[in-house]
Amino acid sequence: MTSPIAEIDLAFKALAPRTSDWTAILPELGVAGLSLFALLQALVIPERLRWLIPATARAGLLLVAVMALTPEVAWTQAVDEPLFGGLLRHNLPMPWVRLVFLSSAFLTSLLAGRFLTARGAGLADYHHVLLVVTAAFMLLVQSDHFVPFFVSLETAAVGLYVLVGYLRRSEASLEAGVKFLVAGGLSSAFLLMGMVLVYGSLGAPGAGDSLAFPVIAKALAAGKGTVLTLAGAAMIVGGAAFKLGAFPFHSWIPDVYQGAPTPTTAYLATASKAAGALALLLIATGPFASLAAKLAPALAGLSLLTLLAGNLAALATSDIKRALALSGVSHAGFLLAAITVAVAKPEATAFGFTSETVVVYYLLAYVVGSFLTLQSLAGVPSAEDHVRPLTSLRGLIRRSPSLTAGLCFGIGSLAGVPPSVGFVTKLLVLALLVQAGLWWVLGAALIGVAVSIHYYFGILREAVARPGDDREETAPLETGAVSRFVITTLSLATLAAGALILL
Amino acid sequence: MENTALAPHLILAGLLFALGLAGVLVRRNLLVVYMCLELMLAAATLALVAFSRFNRTMDGAVLVFFVITVAAAEVAVGLALIVALYRRRGTVSSERLDVLRP
Repeated sequence: MTSPIAEIDLAFKALAPRTSDWTAILPELGVAGLSLFALLQALVIPERLRWLIPATARAGLLLVAVMALTPEVAWTQAVDEPLFGGLLRHNLPMPWVRLVFLSSAFLTSLLAGRFLTARGAGLADYHHVLLVVTAAFMLLVQSDHFVPFFVSLETAAVGLYVLVGYLRRSEASLEAGVKFLVAGGLSSAFLLMGMVLVYGSLGAPGAGDSLAFPVIAKALAAGKGTVLTLAGAAMIVGGAAFKLGAFPFHSWIPDVYQGAPTPTTAYLATASKAAGALALLLIATGPFASLAAKLAPALAGLSLLTLLAGNLAALATSDIKRALALSGVSHAGFLLAAITVAVAKPEATAFGFTSETVVVYYLLAYVVGSFLTLQSLAGVPSAEDHVRPLTSLRGLIRRSPSLTAGLCFGIGSLAGVPPSVGFVTKLLVLALLVQAGLWWVLGAALIGVAVSIHYYFGILREAVARPGDDREETAPLETGAVSRFVITTLSLATLAAGALILL
Repeated sequence: MENTALAPHLILAGLLFALGLAGVLVRRNLLVVYMCLELMLAAATLALVAFSRFNRTMDGAVLVFFVITVAAAEVAVGLALIVALYRRRGTVSSERLDVLRP
């Protein structure tokens, strides 16, 4: 008989990370390394070379994106086995999922450069936190165990509090930061309590680690779930829906999006929403797959209400950032609809794509549309970042045709005007809903699209059809080279990506 | 310690969680709201330790360390935000947070 110490030693050796574990998360390690590098540069670089910090971050992100997209060439082979002793596992289409987060971080960095410099805020700290959050999100969507799930979710959340309250001299930014802090803390507490209940109710002496997703799935499939397990599962789904911004947990979204610095708003709208959607997809189809009969109606109801609530609230808003925030809620409804199909009818496909792939494509299209819209919007000057009434866009077409074009392409893609990529991804979700026979959700989605046309085109009407009155509003606007480059590239992407998906 | 009763621990954890939730929803002072949030995390930690002991699986006890670390990081950032807001506005009452509205 071996001593307890020797047994523990053996167990540790069995779980010790292999080289293939490390290479599988090379992109995440790269992003984390870049974030530390940004901080290091801030210490040693003289004032006039400060531009190097965002430049290296962007170049690094591009490099990591190439590495993530070509797993055959780089060492990051797609692995279909548990990593790090079952802590991580690539359950989602990783190259595309990574691209969602890497492109959001890259575009946020491009947006932040001019924006923060103009407001006298430092770029090094912003990039450091932005990259930490990105790496955490990328680890979150590979979690196969509740410990990495919780830790990466919270790392990202704490970083996002910093990014929202980044403009310390702006009352709006601080207020948004505190509101986000309380809302986020509340959802984290529920999420943790849910995990604890699931862990405790499914655990038994010798039954294995009931925080691991496969163990939970097996125990639930064997019918070991109790009332406590169900309560825990409901709290976890509620917590994830909170991060996603689904009805009725969306009350924080308009305030936080409006008050946050515009680059952070863009990052929240894309990367944070993507993380919420993918985390929900991961837990609903992974550990809780056996609860599908109970989970599917609940998710369908959430999706239906989110689609209606987001669009109707956006209709009654006259501030552009608030309207975009609430339209983001309706996009969360579309994502929830695709997740519902993944739970209710996993074998359903739209034009040959599974519901998981459709979720990821929808997110990519949403990243392109959101950044195009917000990049164009950030080019329009406003005395305060959080006050952007619709009327501030008047006469934009004469002041800056390029910003107006960016706004038209971005909003067109968000609204789903053919042939934009937003149209194609919306079509994929609708096709999934037809396959799964979720007619009520389909109805709500169609009503949502019809309503959204009204407020999306309200924004465009101000920019295109209403001329400015006084002299100040007709002065031409100067746009930076970076801004013009982003607007051109993303405008082309809205047109090309839709065709690429269908071909 | 063989027959540690699980129920009393869970009831206490549930009460603490409910108390924290009530505080977050009812109180107006942001610092108190923040303390109540931490109370909710502490309640989850208590339940975690109780379950870990009762089920004889160490994994829950390990998660506790991560929860404490995360809570510490959250407090560091949260208090910094609240202090910055206080310097700017001279109040920590959530009723006076009215810059952002429709």
